[in-house]
Amino acid sequence: MKTLSLRNLQKTYFDPYAGSQVTAVHDVSLDVEQGEFVSVVGPSGCGKTTILNMVAGFIPYSGGEILLDGAAVKGPGPDRGVVFQSFALFPWKTVLENVGFGPKMRGVPKADRDRIAREYLELAGLSHAADRYPNELSGGMQQRVGVVRALANNPAVLLMDEPFASVDAQTRMTLQEELTRIWQERKPTVIFITHDVAEAVFLANRVVVLSKGRVLDQIKVDLPRPRVWDHLMQDETFKRLSAQVLQMVRSA
Amino acid sequence: MIASGQRTGSKTPGSGWVWRTMNSLAGAAVFVAPLLALVAIWAIVVPLFEVNPRIFPSVASVADAAADSIRDGSLIRHIGASLLRVGLGTLIGVVTAVPLGIAMGVSPAVSSFLTPLFRFFSVLAGIAWIPIATLWFGYGFGAIVFVIFNAVFFVVAYNTLLGVSTIPMTIRNAAASLGARRWALLTEVLLPGALPNIVTGVRTGLGFAWRGLIAAEMIATNVGLGYMLFVARDFYRTEVIVLGMIVIGLLWLLIDRLLLVPLERATIERWGLVRRT
Repeated sequence: MKTLSLRNLQKTYFDPYAGSQVTAVHDVSLDVEQGEFVSVVGPSGCGKTTILNMVAGFIPYSGGEILLDGAAVKGPGPDRGVVFQSFALFPWKTVLENVGFGPKMRGVPKADRDRIAREYLELAGLSHAADRYPNELSGGMQQRVGVVRALANNPAVLLMDEPFASVDAQTRMTLQEELTRIWQERKPTVIFITHDVAEAVFLANRVVVLSKGRVLDQIKVDLPRPRVWDHLMQDETFKRLSAQVLQMVRSA
Repeated sequence: MIASGQRTGSKTPGSGWVWRTMNSLAGAAVFVAPLLALVAIWAIVVPLFEVNPRIFPSVASVADAAADSIRDGSLIRHIGASLLRVGLGTLIGVVTAVPLGIAMGVSPAVSSFLTPLFRFFSVLAGIAWIPIATLWFGYGFGAIVFVIFNAVFFVVAYNTLLGVSTIPMTIRNAAASLGARRWALLTEVLLPGALPNIVTGVRTGLGFAWRGLIAAEMIATNVGLGYMLFVARDFYRTEVIVLGMIVIGLLWLLIDRLLLVPLERATIERWGLVRRT
């Protein structure tokens, strides 16, 4: 079942430095099935973050349409959870309050939203950090909070914008493995933006390669789950798919 | 304050308060020592050079003046009058400045239009308003509270505006994508996000207000610490003047240390938002 549909999506904006209209997204059409994990990969400037911001409702689109469960998307809303590269946690709220923020906005009573938040913190292995403030946590832990904060709100689609780009390499691999585990448990619909080809293949059911504001190609990833780096690093299919995607990105 | 022991990483939460008390006592000692040294120098120099009491009083005469004014209740009356004016003016200033600052900070256009104005009035705030305030409100309570309000209002409004406009867009976006609407955005994001700047603004504004208060009381009233100083001058009572100066300084240090600094600690530093200079 289709959840999210982008139809001939287009974005042009005025670039004050160039002094002219710039087209960031030319013509992108994309369907995402419910429970699907789609990675969107491409070189910087290919329009991937712009697309995500349009789907999130942070910026308006210039042409085409975005449909979520058949309805046109307009402005940000709790049906689309967002995980940011910069984490964007609320520094003045504890971890528990951060995760319970979405339910709070829905009017869930305090006892219930604390229970929901604790459940999601356990899912991310963060139960011990519930009463801490974000600045007391490492980058990796902060982004775990960022992920479950978005999930705790039960969004129809989870939008992730290079979420692991600002943590160290070891932590990144752990976070990637945890994300695939959480995805298997909860089956959220995910759009994952990245410029890291191996990451895109490792996580997704499908990789969409973007180039200059257009969809260049799409590749199905039928690797078995659970996915663990120790196995996949040696896996022939993984290596072949990664090489294939890398070639596309580099030719883009 | 749940699990504060855990948060600070203390292994024996029960003994935490002992350690904290010792620590704050040590801090107080470091803070008080230079002041005591100054008093000691004063106690030596005045009798040594046989300074004329009309020029500068001895420590003993100031202590006597303090005892007298405490006994007859005049010191408490002056302090009470001054604190009431500062408290009321500050309260009105903060309560009006914060909502205005937030409303302006939300819109970049409004904020960039008003920023120069607020800077102008922040600099002007305080004693420059005393003459016109006495024309508007007459000599007395109203004019002085207005001067205090004025000193606090512009600085706090400007800092609030600054605070709101420095909240990262991604944080506002995060709140919106979690379902926060207008009111929730205000109370859950903009207000706490601007709080570090608001506290800085209140601290700066109160500093201005305190100076403005003393100046205004010299001109526009018949009670208060500024008035106490000014009248003592007419009778060459240097010991009362110096007593007044000491009380003014000490009161400010107490307000700052016991009220404003802990407020900053309780919120901003814990959140990791503080940008100390």
